[in-house]
Amino acid sequence: MSQVLASRTTPRWTTGLGGLLLQRLFQAGLVAWMVGTLTFVLTRSLPGDMAYRIAAGRYGHDMVNTSAAEAVRAELALDQPALGAYFGWLWDLLQFNLGRSLVSGEPVLAELWHQLGHSLGLATMAVLLSLLLGPPLGLIAGLKPNGWLDRVSEVAASVLRALPPFAVGLLLILIFSVSLGWLPAAGHGRSAHGVLPALTLALALAAISSRVARNAMADVSQSAYYAFSRTKGLGERQSFLRHGMRNAAVPVIAYLGVQFVYLIEGVVVVETLFAWPGIGHALVHAIVARDVPMVQGTALVMGLMFVVLNTVVDLLCHWLDPRRRSA
Amino acid sequence: MTTLAMTPPRRWALPALNSRQQIGAALLALLLAFAWLVPWLSDADPARQQLTRILQWPSFAEPLGTDHLGRSLLARLASAVRLSLGMALLSVASAAVPGVLLGVIAGWRGGWLDRVLGSLADACLALPGLLLVLLLVAIAPGNFWALYVGISLVLWIEYFRVVRARTRILVASPQLEASRLLGFGPLYLFRRHLWPELAPQVLTLAAFGAASAILAMAAMGFVSVGLRPPTAELGLMMIELLPYYHEAPWAMAQPILVLFVLVLSLNLLAGRDPR
Amino acid sequence: MSSYLLQAEGLTIRGEDVTIAPFSCSLTPGGRLTLLGETGSGKSLLAQAIMGTLPKGLVAQGQLVIDGEAFDAADTTSRRALWGHRLALLPQEPWHALDPTMRAVSQIAESHHHVAGRDQRASLQAAWADLKELGLPEAGDKLPGELSGGMAQRVAFAAASAGGAPIVIADEPTKGLDAPRRDAVVELLARTPEAAGALLTITHDIDVARRLGGEVVILRQGQVVERGPAQQVLTHPQSEYGKRLLDAEPSRWPAPAPLGECDMAAVVTANGLAKVRGGRELFRDLSLTVRPGEIVGVVGPSGCGKSTLGDMLLGVTRADEGEVRRAAGHSLGFQKLYQDPPAAFSPHWRLSRLLDDLVRRHRLNRSSIPPLMARLGLDENLLGRRPGEISGGELQRFAILRVLLLNPCFLFADEPTSRLDPITQRQTLALLVELARERRCGVMLVSHDPALIERICDRRITLGNESMSVTKREREPAMA
Repeated sequence: MSQVLASRTTPRWTTGLGGLLLQRLFQAGLVAWMVGTLTFVLTRSLPGDMAYRIAAGRYGHDMVNTSAAEAVRAELALDQPALGAYFGWLWDLLQFNLGRSLVSGEPVLAELWHQLGHSLGLATMAVLLSLLLGPPLGLIAGLKPNGWLDRVSEVAASVLRALPPFAVGLLLILIFSVSLGWLPAAGHGRSAHGVLPALTLALALAAISSRVARNAMADVSQSAYYAFSRTKGLGERQSFLRHGMRNAAVPVIAYLGVQFVYLIEGVVVVETLFAWPGIGHALVHAIVARDVPMVQGTALVMGLMFVVLNTVVDLLCHWLDPRRRSA
Repeated sequence: MTTLAMTPPRRWALPALNSRQQIGAALLALLLAFAWLVPWLSDADPARQQLTRILQWPSFAEPLGTDHLGRSLLARLASAVRLSLGMALLSVASAAVPGVLLGVIAGWRGGWLDRVLGSLADACLALPGLLLVLLLVAIAPGNFWALYVGISLVLWIEYFRVVRARTRILVASPQLEASRLLGFGPLYLFRRHLWPELAPQVLTLAAFGAASAILAMAAMGFVSVGLRPPTAELGLMMIELLPYYHEAPWAMAQPILVLFVLVLSLNLLAGRDPR
Repeated sequence: MSSYLLQAEGLTIRGEDVTIAPFSCSLTPGGRLTLLGETGSGKSLLAQAIMGTLPKGLVAQGQLVIDGEAFDAADTTSRRALWGHRLALLPQEPWHALDPTMRAVSQIAESHHHVAGRDQRASLQAAWADLKELGLPEAGDKLPGELSGGMAQRVAFAAASAGGAPIVIADEPTKGLDAPRRDAVVELLARTPEAAGALLTITHDIDVARRLGGEVVILRQGQVVERGPAQQVLTHPQSEYGKRLLDAEPSRWPAPAPLGECDMAAVVTANGLAKVRGGRELFRDLSLTVRPGEIVGVVGPSGCGKSTLGDMLLGVTRADEGEVRRAAGHSLGFQKLYQDPPAAFSPHWRLSRLLDDLVRRHRLNRSSIPPLMARLGLDENLLGRRPGEISGGELQRFAILRVLLLNPCFLFADEPTSRLDPITQRQTLALLVELARERRCGVMLVSHDPALIERICDRRITLGNESMSVTKREREPAMA
């Protein structure tokens, strides 16, 4: 989901650094509670023979019997009254006792650990690539609003923004793997596998960050303080370096927080498309297979990642903008 | 006082569209015409399979060709656009109305009500939107209404936040204070002072929100957790046609192109960069 | 080789609906030139034409000689090399001219470093020395948002002049400053000519022009109306416009009609009012009455609670302590005029609609509108426009019209003319006083200009003009 959904909670009732962190901690708690509650509802909404089917999925169709189904039933606490089971469920969550995958039978935490590594690798590559593409282009375009570079980058950004990440990914596959045969389409193992998924995400991110940087730079370059820095004799270069870039960077960094929404949403579809063995891929698989513990684990990790990344952005803004420090 | 009588009887201010928004509106009108004229002009059924004529090139009988099950792509695309726009309209309406109302109430009244509503919005924002939709869809797989509830639940917050912030500023502004001192009631203040300021922003949010809803539904379809076949849905169509890329690249390009134009038209209609 | 620091020959500016007639001037070392005029007179454009910073769409023509070097006014890029070194520009609204994310001392030091070419350490030392010299040793570590308007102006001055430019151009340097701050800025500006530099000041404030001395040029709609030594032009102007401009100075206004005997009950009475805002006590134990037709002036520095006091009398803000008694039977009798006329209207509707709304809401008699409009000098055609489409003076008079239709008994006028040019200010206030007397409406008038209050008010209330301790001592507000 894109633009509108991509707003982030900005600290409201506190301004200091401590209050800011406290608020993010509160958000993390909220994420855990929401994920826990929704997945609990999920367990309760499973149809009657679900225990059998899950057991069949885990042990194979020949091995399934009543006792195996009972084991699954007990694992999901399907045999207990709802309210007690709900609190038990949340209590387990609080202790990071996420249970075992209903499909593979492995502990959820162990699986998450592997997947998180893959997802983080992909996300880091994507963010770095997008930072290399978007903001520099936007800053240069913003120095001359309505110049040719501004126009071209605006059209490019409009086109990219209108294409969902999976469509961009598809097009990249069709161009670079199927037609040109330069890069592998899907899978994991060699570093070449990571290029297309990272590029897909990076293009989507850069489409927005370039415009944010452009608008920020245009605002700064039309501001009275930018004009003053030039008339007091600093020259174009020093004015840009000392007053332009830093002031334009504040909204760009702040917007990174919004971009992480994209990133996390993009990870879900892009990993699925490229069969990248990360958390997003696992979440989609778990939903299809109705593997409740895995759904909970993956959603929880993604939600918490979102909070952690936003905290990093908060700290960056705090460090970059002295107004926030002295507020 | 002839001028008094000559004021046109316009009660609500509608925002004027700039050139960018006009292009968006025109594109959207074209898509609307396509989606609703096709079933009216041709009797093709989007679900009827004809396994004897799969993946056929566009012809006079099938202007956009057929898919891997021999279904009419023209009928399927029109049906998919209707579905997408219907979902967008429904979720935008059910997000905008409470979002705007609660935003005005919270911004105007302030105090505990504002804090409670603000916390509620923050709670809905704690999870990235798509994750919330995914979890709701997981509970009721393939269900249109689960998708709709999830999308609306995420969308209303933005209206609420924007409207609340703007209302808070306006309520403290001299223009509102002046009208209040002149003896005007809340309804008048809303109509003359708040709505003209809020309307363009609400329109922008609505356009972005519609694009978001369409993209979300397509993304769900694409990763096979959204609506189920044989529904004609853009994301679903892409993933269904993907294996036949070599034989029929034009078939796969169609849902992508339609989705692109749909989202582009809405983004243009929104009239500014997302912030 | 001329002895002039700055010379302009036949300087003209052309662009979309702007034409500035040929303008010439020459400034010797120690020379002072002040361009005086109201908004839209083109005075700022002349300064920008000299600097080479005209906005897009405007083109300057003519010859400039700056510090012995000749320039074509149309060629803007070549003068950039002079910025900071030989030409310094003191910007309008220094608050916005300082980088909001950089500490004050760094903004001065970077001029020393990059413009004057000192090394990092020496620059920082020089910046601190500048601040100390300007009486701001504590401001160096602050961000612009934490500085007052006067402090920001001095920081901007130090940053602009660190490069040692002999020619200083000051564009509306006193805009938004109250009287004492304004005088301090004038002193600061006078340093340049005293050090054998040249000063070109752009202002709308006659008082500033008078204090600066030197040569004065009065501009109107891009034309030079009158020029000459300040003493002559600002005491005995020859041109008709110059005379009107000078007559608009509050000290020259005719005194309003006397209030006359009045035994009527007060329209509003306040007893023992107290208010704390942001941890600071604005006033305490403040008592006052306003009688019908009386004009009560309120003066004091910005932030002293003048507006808050008025809002309390209107019942818009609550007092921490004390009580306000308003005359009974006037539910709509307490009205307000705002400082910024456009801010008091929704910009989206025609004036006729707004007036119509009011008439319908209170079932007013429409026939009373045309005579009142004629009285206020409002043309009927104006009603077809929206608030942003007419001038500030017209809009403020429309606001007066709207308010008077409700027959108010008390009007709180919160700096109603501070955004208007002097001639319009005089007309507007004269009308307001006249109508208030006639309709027995008590007025509380706030202004940052003590001379204005002195002139037209029956009584005066001074708020927090000294430090807090003095304010406390002065429990009974000074009544003049």
